[in-house]
Parts: sequence; C-alpha cells; structure tokens
Amino acid sequence: MPFIQDPGLVDEAKKAGWLTRLYRRRGLSGPVAAVLLLGFLLTPLLPGKFPTIVATEILIVGLFALSFNLIYGYMGQISFGHGAFFGLGAYATALLLRYFQMSAGEVSYFGFFLAILAALPVSAFGSLIVGFFCIRLTGIYFAMLSLAFGELLFYIVFSWYSFTKGDDGIQGLMPPPFFQNSTHYYYFTLAIVVMAALLLWRITESPFGYTLRMLRDNRNRAAFLGINARRVMLMNFVTAGIFAGLAGALWGPFQRSVSPALLGWAESGKAVFMTLIGGAYFLVGPMAGSIIYTGLNAYVTRYTVFWPLTIGLIILLIVLFVPGGLLSVIDQRISRRGTERESRERIPPEAAPGPENEA
Amino acid sequence: MSGKILEVAGLNKHFRGLHAVRDLNFVLQGGDKTAIIGPNGAGKTTFFNLVTGFHRADSGRIIFNGTDITNRPSHEIARLGISRAFQISNIFPKLSVLENVRSAVQAQMGKAFDAFGRADRIGTGETERIINLCGLHSKPRVAAGELSQGDKKKLELALALAGKPKLLLLDEPTAGMSLEETRETMALVDRLNEELNLTTLFTEHDMAVVFNHARKVILLHRGEIIVEGTPDQVRMDETAQRIYLGMHHR
Repeated sequence: MPFIQDPGLVDEAKKAGWLTRLYRRRGLSGPVAAVLLLGFLLTPLLPGKFPTIVATEILIVGLFALSFNLIYGYMGQISFGHGAFFGLGAYATALLLRYFQMSAGEVSYFGFFLAILAALPVSAFGSLIVGFFCIRLTGIYFAMLSLAFGELLFYIVFSWYSFTKGDDGIQGLMPPPFFQNSTHYYYFTLAIVVMAALLLWRITESPFGYTLRMLRDNRNRAAFLGINARRVMLMNFVTAGIFAGLAGALWGPFQRSVSPALLGWAESGKAVFMTLIGGAYFLVGPMAGSIIYTGLNAYVTRYTVFWPLTIGLIILLIVLFVPGGLLSVIDQRISRRGTERESRERIPPEAAPGPENEA
Repeated sequence: MSGKILEVAGLNKHFRGLHAVRDLNFVLQGGDKTAIIGPNGAGKTTFFNLVTGFHRADSGRIIFNGTDITNRPSHEIARLGISRAFQISNIFPKLSVLENVRSAVQAQMGKAFDAFGRADRIGTGETERIINLCGLHSKPRVAAGELSQGDKKKLELALALAGKPKLLLLDEPTAGMSLEETRETMALVDRLNEELNLTTLFTEHDMAVVFNHARKVILLHRGEIIVEGTPDQVRMDETAQRIYLGMHHR
C-alpha cells in the first residue's frame, strides 16, 4: 500500500476489521460509539473514585448535549434555553426525592425510579409551552426567544423560594443505599444514557429524523413537499426537551443537590460548546464534546484557575480551524483515505464497458 | 383523468405598488400540458407562488380538483397533489441524492412523523424508480449540494415527482441544462404526461421547448393574460409577436 505514508496507519488498516465494517455501514458514529462504550465500561477500573465521578458527569451532561443536538445539528435551529429543560427535569426529580425523604425518612427504590421518571412529563410539558412559541421563528429569533424563555424559567425557580428554596437550591438528596456507591450510580447512569442514546439513534435514522434534516437544509422546500414544518419542529422541540429532562433527572442524585443555575443560560451554553467541539453532524459528536469539555474542566481546574480562559481558547481554535468539530476532522481523513483506496481498486471509467449502473 | 383540474378565477396579487397578477382567469383540463410564457416580471413565478400557497392572494379563487385551495398553507396544498419544481434548484444540499428523494417519498407517504421506523427501509422501491426515471441512477450517494447544475435540476424534478402529483408545476425546468439534458428532461415530461396523463403546467424562456412540447400556450404580460391558445395560434398572434416573441426571433 504505497499510498499510505505513515506506517502506523498501515497497522491500523490491517487490524481495523469490524470497526471498518461498522464505519462503512453506519458512518463514523458507529465505531466511535463502540470505542466510547468500551471506554465507559472500563472507566471504574481506573485508580481512585475521581475518574468515575468525572465520567458520570460526562455521561449526564453528554446526554443533555445529545438532546440539544436534535435541535441544532438535525433541525438546524440553535437554542440558548435548552438548559431550562435539563433544570426542570433535575428539579422534578429533586423535589420528589425531597418529598419522599421528608415523609418517609429515606427514599425507597420505587420512589427513586418514580422520581427519575417524573422528570419526563415535567420537561415535556415545559418544552411544549416554550416550543409552542419558539417554533414560530427561525434563526437568530428562535435563538433569542429560547434564551428569553430559558431565563424566564430560571427566574421562576430562582424566586419561588417556598417551593424551590430559591438560590439555596435543594440540598441533601440521598438516593437509596445501593445507588449511594459512586460506581453503582455510574453504571446506572451509563445504562440509562446508553438506552437514551440508542433511542436517539433510532429517532435520527427514522423518517422523522430525515424530515428534520429537510427542515435544516431547506425549510421552504420541505413545505412544498407536504411537510408541516411547525408541527415537526414542535414535536422535535418536545422530544429534545424530554431527553434533556432525563439527563437532568440523573443530576440531583449524582450531585446530591440541585440549584437554579442548572436552568440558566450558562448551562445551555455548555450544550452548545460541547456540540461544536465534538461535531454537530455526528450523532455521537456532542458526547465526544462532553468528554473533552467536562474532562478538561475536571482536570484543568486542578492546576489552574484560568479554566474559563482555557475553554475560551479551545473554542476559538475549534471555530477557526475545525468548524465541523473534532469528529469531522477524523471523518474527512478516513473518507479521503477510503476514496483513494477505492479509486485505486476500481476500474478506471474509460476502461469500463458501458455506463456505470450502481443504483 | 379529464375535466377541470385547476380553475383560477379573478386572481389578483399586489406587491406594494406593483400589480403582479391582474385578474387572472383560466381553466386547466386534466391531462393538459400547458406552457406559460412571458417576459421577465410578467407574473409567472408569482402565479406559481399563489397556486402553491407561498404567497397569499389579494382576491380571487383557486379551485383544485373541486377543492378551494386559495391561501391554504403550502404543505396542505402539496398533500392534495400539486407538486412544484423550482427555477433555481431548491434541494436539500447536505443530503445525498438518494436521501433527498427518499425523504420526499416518505413525506408523500405520510411518514414525516414516523420516529421509530427505519428511514432506509421505507419507500425505497418508489425512490429507486424515481431516481432511475430522472436519470440520476449513477450518483445516488452524492451530496445534492455537490451535483452539477443540470443534475440539480433533475433532482428538482425528482423531488416534485416524489409527491405523486396530480398537477405538476415546472418553473423553467430546463434552465441551466445542456442541450442533451434539456432533450432528456422534456422527453421525460412528455412521457409522464402521455403515459400517466399527468397534468403539467410549465414556464419556459426557450421558445423551441415551448412550441415543441406544450399543447396550449398562455402569454402573460404585466400580470395579465394577453393571448391563450394552441402554440400555432399564439405564434401567429400579432400582440404576442410584438410583446414577446419578437425578442426571440430566430
């Protein structure tokens, strides 16, 4: 294979096997997801509790970013208020957990799962109301309105002290004994996030998923093909809100507390950052972004107080040099190599008998 | 299919001072193949925009197959069976040719909201048929945004056909195409009209295309119908000569 210069790449091509096949069938997200899953499964083997705790956060915030990307990467609108649904889910679970703790002393396993599930209808309802207004707009107006609604919900939670404890947040949340162990809770989170990601994969590869891409690429034309753009957008907004709420539900029992900041614009901005870092046009892009963002956040803050500066520089570099996100760089490298290989193996068109029919 | 498929009565549209469509009246019979011609700004595209619900009419009625479609939303009109191909190709650039057509087919099948089916297994037969019909079978995996101008127009037509239209509106279907592509595309339009009795209304600047392919011609000028008739009648008409055809003297 003289066209591969780097000897490392030759090795990689030889041992690729099932990953390469997965790439051909599913695109880059397939193999990346497989590698990430393996990594996540093995993380608790690392020494100390810290990596497991960081990985839990990566998964939860990663799921939040995945849900955001339904709106951004697939539907082509940018929401700066998506944190509101993450926060609503977190508060729904936290308030129920606190209620169970106060009435029964501790949370039963049934109560715990109920509290997690309660986040789904709450965030669905919240996103239905917000979505009802946002989907009337597109582009910058959509973004601004989502930001306004996000801040509105933030202030409601922030100032409704009797119900939400306002700025104090809700402290001292205790999951049932089994989930108090950080490794157990990590695997529980992993299971939920994997199921949610599979569901998201299913949705994005469904006809509905392609309808979203049509709206992203050319909204007017989609209407001329018989698609009710607003209804599609609303359904997607609520779907994204529910997945964000599920991520939020996992947050309280993990951090043992929730605070109004979870609904704020900074939280929404995290999803935007992570999606841009990882790559919006790949299903697993936001999760890859979460690994980088959350991972760096966890480790860089140990060594420097200049974390915001660091993340600012990273974003700057990505926007300037890799506008499609990290995964797009990898994808381009692989597909370029693939094309070279294919063009070498294929009969040159001049020599082929008659026109090519590969449909 | 015969009988009135489209009836336009007293249709008007103003853009501020401009009277873009002026008291338009005409009837399209099922199976017709009619061309609308006229200088730039005559109101051809505005008329298409009114029929497909993209613009709101100021007054008048548009009746399609017995249903009043005046000022109904575009997506409802599309679902009733009016498909439109655009003058400047209007496709989904990041999706492949296959995904473009397949998504349009799925929209026609009412699957746009199906979130759990597999997109790559629904409507694939119809998708393949349309791709072959429109001569795009050699590049199903190419991103639509990377196609040549002629191929984009073919895809444009493919998207319109995916809607299983009863009435096909083509806005300059051959603009930007090579002679060979023009011939192929118009042959396809003829075939669809003859074999499937698909009613077709098209605008075109190329008079050779108009007079070779239309069975009826409508000349529009400043939003008004000036002449209406067979290609020969329009060709011989003095007003038509003066306003428009004189410019295309060959």
